[in-house]
Amino acid sequence: MSSRERVQAVIDRVRPLLQADGGDVELVDICGATAKVRFSGNCVGCPAAFVTLHLGLETAVKEELPEIERLVLV
Amino acid sequence: MHRNGFTPDSVVVGRSARMRAVFEFVDVIADSESSVLITGETGTGKELLAHLIHYRSGRRAKPFVPVSCAILSETLIEAELFGHERGAFTGALRDRMGRFEMANGGTIFLDDVDDVPLAMQVKLLRVIQSRTIERLGSEKQIPVDVRIITGSKKDLKQLVGEGKFREDLYYRLNVIPVSLPPLRERREDIPSLVEHFVRRYAHIRGVDPMPLSPSVMDAFMRYPWPGNVRELENACERMVQTCGCNHIRTGCVPSSVLFHAKGALPEAAAPPTGEMAPVSLDERLQEVERSLITWALRSSGGNKSRAAELLKVKRSTLGDRIEKLGITA
Repeated sequence: MSSRERVQAVIDRVRPLLQADGGDVELVDICGATAKVRFSGNCVGCPAAFVTLHLGLETAVKEELPEIERLVLV
Repeated sequence: MHRNGFTPDSVVVGRSARMRAVFEFVDVIADSESSVLITGETGTGKELLAHLIHYRSGRRAKPFVPVSCAILSETLIEAELFGHERGAFTGALRDRMGRFEMANGGTIFLDDVDDVPLAMQVKLLRVIQSRTIERLGSEKQIPVDVRIITGSKKDLKQLVGEGKFREDLYYRLNVIPVSLPPLRERREDIPSLVEHFVRRYAHIRGVDPMPLSPSVMDAFMRYPWPGNVRELENACERMVQTCGCNHIRTGCVPSSVLFHAKGALPEAAAPPTGEMAPVSLDERLQEVERSLITWALRSSGGNKSRAAELLKVKRSTLGDRIEKLGITA
């Protein structure tokens, strides 16, 4: 599996839950050690959700793909 | 102490048959004077149950004194439980009552009794048999009328087998055994527990309880809750405290719950590649066993109960195998 597919697999773990709540997350690109994702819909702009989703997803991705060093929101 | 103080309505019975059975059993045993041993993983509610037993007993008007035996060194446990006289040791500036004396007429709850060192176990046994204590530095026998409830994370019977727990003390403590199931074995109780904790923390925050989206409950039902009800309570507290839009959605769920690693399953052992070279079946099986156990321990973050669940074996079986194979977690 490519890095992109593997990051996508981690995202797909939570994507159905987010979508059911009127939100979404998509993988935009991977540049070197950086994965770029975009959150949309409900929960965008909520500081608590930012911590949960951004940092949570970053931790989960880094755990499975040590070559990814950070997750940025675009 | 229970973090938010005990009240009878801080007890959620839930729907599961196992917990209903536990609570019915509490009504049967509450008024007896016999020792109770409550076994359950961390966060399953051992202290709450002990407090409930006390509350339903004839001793309810007298003190309920919980003590954790885990954090204390041997001398400290002794001073803590039995008290000391002035000058008994450096720093003992005045007479001090021990927990047994404080609990006089009521109930003492000795949690983490599995952590009590062997030397201390003898002293505990003596107190239970004679119902008298001696403060450190004193020879005076002080009679105490205390009901003893103990809590253990581990199976004490197994510790007895391993020589880490005195058999005579085990039988004294284990007159009435109560076992609390881990939350993952009673998932049907999660919704009522969530509702209860959301209502409680919303009340503390001074807001109306906010509704939860079905996705949040879905994530909660899937998560294995290694920290059991305590972990669930913390998750609910956090969601209620941080919710900014009066609706708990996926974004509010703690990331550990939302993103919990499922851990990829290990590949089955590859068949031998050599033509007709002999293969030791036992060695190969051990290899597979070792790799699966290592995988399960890693996936569970070293939590053996959870690892046992992943491998569909009893916790005690896993412990035996780990010892046999000499795996260090």
